[in-house]
Amino acid sequence: MKTRTKKIIGWSVVALVVVGLIVGIILTDGLYTSTEDISEVMKDAVLHEENQVDIFGFKANPGLVSAYIVTLILLVAAALIRIFAIPKFKAVPGKFQLVAESIVGWFDRLAKTNSPHRNSFLGAYIFGAGCYIFAGTLFELVGAAAVSAAGNAVVLPAPLSDINGAIAMGFLSYLVILSGGIVSNGLRGVGRTLKDFSLPISMSFRLFGALLSGLLVSELVYYYIALSFVLPVIVGVLFTLLHALIQTYVLVMLTSLFYGEVSEPYGKVPKAKKKKARAAREKQ
Amino acid sequence: MPLNINWQQILLHLLNLVILIVGLYLLLYKPVKKFMKKREDAYKEREENTQAALDNAKAKEEEYSSRLAGVEEEVSKKREEAAKELEGVRSEKLRQVAKEADEMLDAARERARKEHDRIINGVSDDIKEIVEEAAEKVVLTSSVNDAYEQFLSAAESGAKSAHAGKAKTVTSMTKADKKGGARKKK
Repeated sequence: MKTRTKKIIGWSVVALVVVGLIVGIILTDGLYTSTEDISEVMKDAVLHEENQVDIFGFKANPGLVSAYIVTLILLVAAALIRIFAIPKFKAVPGKFQLVAESIVGWFDRLAKTNSPHRNSFLGAYIFGAGCYIFAGTLFELVGAAAVSAAGNAVVLPAPLSDINGAIAMGFLSYLVILSGGIVSNGLRGVGRTLKDFSLPISMSFRLFGALLSGLLVSELVYYYIALSFVLPVIVGVLFTLLHALIQTYVLVMLTSLFYGEVSEPYGKVPKAKKKKARAAREKQ
Repeated sequence: MPLNINWQQILLHLLNLVILIVGLYLLLYKPVKKFMKKREDAYKEREENTQAALDNAKAKEEEYSSRLAGVEEEVSKKREEAAKELEGVRSEKLRQVAKEADEMLDAARERARKEHDRIINGVSDDIKEIVEEAAEKVVLTSSVNDAYEQFLSAAESGAKSAHAGKAKTVTSMTKADKKGGARKKK
């Protein structure tokens, strides 16, 4: 009997809170007057022409600030793990050790699978890039604010939703692929890499487009205060999580695939060997 | 630049990425990978040691089994040799025993012969005595019989006339004489 009464009281309180919130939303809707038009907000989210952040007298996109914050967070976390966790690693891993080993092992295996001939540098690169894309995309969820040079409050976006960040990532990946080609095959490797000249652009804009779309949807949702309840859980959290995973996977996979392709040692395979290899493949 | 592309910011992003990747490599990727490699090597080494121990054990097993087979062969050889030796010893013993038996038999025969001779010699004297006695008896018996016959005939002839009391006395006297004579001869 007592528990039933408690349940009834609890649910009543929840219902009252929800009703109160809805009433509050309706009553305060008229009070909210945005100084910016939605089209301007979305344009600024893409171009960052107006809401630039002042860093030591240098005007930068909010995405750059996000990028450095993400880097700082990741490096501090890595340093803490290096100092406190890694020395305590055991042969039979605990939960945290298992997670750390799984992540490192996954990137290492990906590098070895896609580039069997040369993969130690690739593994390190895709590990760093993967961590950056994942953490950077999730950084959007934090909703950290900064003051723009114009004096407006700006929510710091995902670093890669900034076109410059995406271009940097795309070009760096391309340079890594190119370096693999040069180290393995010299000029022939350069030729192989340059053959895919559209790669940096596609990599950059794929990242930029994917993350920007998320940002735009979020901007759209948050522009209207009435949509700021419940809906952000889906469009904000779930989409961002999916984005983080998918974009990380896509970039590291593409980078390792192309790296493996250009770093494959060049050599004419004899016809007999080719036939054997083909027969083996057909059997499989 | 279109889309607000800014080369300076791109370079800043690149610098940020390089710092991050190098930092993560040094702080996280390399140590974790090193630890995993170390553990893998330790397990590999342990596995190799186990495999080596296993191979060693197998080799030893084979060696021992082959040695065991050799030992069995050796044992059967030794057994054969022992059997041969035993056979030799036994035959030798048998020969000795047979020889001893023959000697004993000869000695026994000799002794028996001597005993036989001795007995025979002893017995021949007895036989002589017996024969003599027997002959004497025969002689005596025939004379007694004759006397008895004479007596009987005399008795028959005198019965008709003589008294029955005289005859009885004569008869008892004759019997007493007969007994006394036999004792004396012995």
